[in-house]
Amino acid sequence: MPLAYPSQRVAYPYFVIALLLFVLQVIVGIWLALSYAVTMPQGLVDILPFSTTRAFHTNLLVLWLLLGFMGSTYFMAPEESERDIFSPALAYLQLALLVATGVAALVGFFFGWTKGKPLLEIPFPLDYLVVVGALIFLFNVGMTMLRSKRWTVIQGSLFGGLIFLAVMYLFNLPFYANLSIDWYYWWWVIHLWVEGAWELVAAALTAWILIKITGVPRETVEKWLYVELGLFLFTGIAGTGHHYYWLGAPKYWLWVGGVFSALEPVPILLMLVDAWHYVRNRKGQLNGKLVFTFAVGMAILHFVGAGLWGFAHTLPQINYYTHGSQVTVAHGHIAFFGAYVLLNLMFFYYAMPKLEGLTAFNERRGTLAFWWLSLAMIAMTLAFTIAGVLQTYIERVMGLGYMTAQAQMRFWFAILVALGLMLLIGVVLAVLDLLTLRPAPASESR
Amino acid sequence: MSWKTARWIFYLGTFISLVLFLALTVDTHRQIRALTHADQLSDQVVAGKRVWHKYNCNDCHTILGFGSYYGPDVTKVYWRRGAEGVKAVVRTPEKFTTWRKMPHLPLTEQELGDLVTFLKWTSEIDTQDWPPQDQKFRPAAGRAVALGVGPGASLFQEKGCFACHRMHETGGQLGPDLTHVGSRLSYETIEKVLTDPRSVNPQGAMPPVSLSQEERNELSAFLAKMK
Repeated sequence: MPLAYPSQRVAYPYFVIALLLFVLQVIVGIWLALSYAVTMPQGLVDILPFSTTRAFHTNLLVLWLLLGFMGSTYFMAPEESERDIFSPALAYLQLALLVATGVAALVGFFFGWTKGKPLLEIPFPLDYLVVVGALIFLFNVGMTMLRSKRWTVIQGSLFGGLIFLAVMYLFNLPFYANLSIDWYYWWWVIHLWVEGAWELVAAALTAWILIKITGVPRETVEKWLYVELGLFLFTGIAGTGHHYYWLGAPKYWLWVGGVFSALEPVPILLMLVDAWHYVRNRKGQLNGKLVFTFAVGMAILHFVGAGLWGFAHTLPQINYYTHGSQVTVAHGHIAFFGAYVLLNLMFFYYAMPKLEGLTAFNERRGTLAFWWLSLAMIAMTLAFTIAGVLQTYIERVMGLGYMTAQAQMRFWFAILVALGLMLLIGVVLAVLDLLTLRPAPASESR
Repeated sequence: MSWKTARWIFYLGTFISLVLFLALTVDTHRQIRALTHADQLSDQVVAGKRVWHKYNCNDCHTILGFGSYYGPDVTKVYWRRGAEGVKAVVRTPEKFTTWRKMPHLPLTEQELGDLVTFLKWTSEIDTQDWPPQDQKFRPAAGRAVALGVGPGASLFQEKGCFACHRMHETGGQLGPDLTHVGSRLSYETIEKVLTDPRSVNPQGAMPPVSLSQEERNELSAFLAKMK
């Protein structure tokens, strides 16, 4: 099946690079788990400390997810705007710039060149190059949409989310002398990304895919999209307060953060119910069973990870003991996986066959990869959670030493190394499948 | 639900949350100066913060509970180890770690001093009594000084003795409890331990403490009076 618009092709290199970085991220993750489980020799730690490899792991995550979002946007924008991308050349230039910046940053980390702020380690002036890349992207997408004959809620949510995302990154650029204020604005980037801007992007991409595969009228989908976005932003913006309990901010954040973030699962639940509703009321046959599997898996794990695991430690009375422990790590892994990893993979599975010129593709390997990945991540989350509960109880409640708690958690990190290897198998399977999609067997093709 | 209602939910939800959040942000800026003792935010504290970033400490240790979880939280590390204690760990991490290692970081003495000043300032941020596990170290300095036995008490805090030793239910458990050390050891023995720990207990694990002659006398006098 030819593409509706030839310029959608620019998405392809974005997806390929994102997938390769994903594999790399998981390999580094296994190394991190290993560093917790066994004793790394002092000589090795002096050359390649945990801090460097952790910076690799988190920056690879952010880079590949963002490249995935950008590729997805370039794929979707022409169909929504009913015209080709404003400038495919700019899209390739932007990709080259961002990848070059990312590679320079990763190599730099190895040599100790860092801003030294978790997740936002990319140092000056590379951080400004990221901004330049983002501006090129926004300009290109904005021009595509502005020159379009129509304006849809999905376009609005997507473009609004992308602008929101870029604006929030600006709060990372200055140097803050006061540590508390530094972290206050660090969360404007991190929290307002994952529980604000990225949710807008995710909701738009998901709504678009659901229209495509279920044939439910756009009117219905876009109406509920408005409600979801309203609830996401209502709970998400003031919900930033759940990070302000213990950083030297006034006491009222305990109330504001507690109340608003307790409501944060509501829009995610609505998203889940919506997806279910659309599928039940679909017009005719599902257009792509695997994409649908990813969509439902995403909706469920998004709710479990961001909703349930987030809620579990968001109230101040509990967070006082769990803050900054492996409980956070458990939540972080399942929430990112459920909300954004599966979102990207879902979109790739929708777009890649079309980019490779296939009408229908063989879904066997992809289905196996989905279950393998998801089950491995669920098992990892449980292992992190057990480690986190042990840490919380031994270190925070009983008041024993940090390493006393770590000794009890060590076993679970050994388990995590094994589970990480399982996850890697699933990731490699999904990536290989996406890069070498095969046509559907004759009996299945329609 | 009608399309119009849906759009109102979007506009109102976003607007209410945004206005509340921005208003509280303005107020937080007003209050945070007092809560973080911003008047004590000296150039040296800021220099120390830059050192903290330069060596990417935050991708192993949490501070205010944020960062990575590979090493202990350092929000109140100044309470736990004191200035000399922190410096000793950074200079010779292999002496303080067992099965999880910390890298040797090439900090200059100037950088080390700045870092400790930054961590001292950080320990005074009003964190609503977080983290729970470090609250027992809070009275460390105060308790010893309150005994009113001289500057030796503050040296005990300052040199990081609390990291391993307990006094009045406060401190670490690696070394012996020193609440009644004066009734077990004489002034002379204590001074000998402080000069060279191995000279008294060859099997002991206590690292040598860097003290001037005057400081050694003060600290020994303080400990000898703990009966």
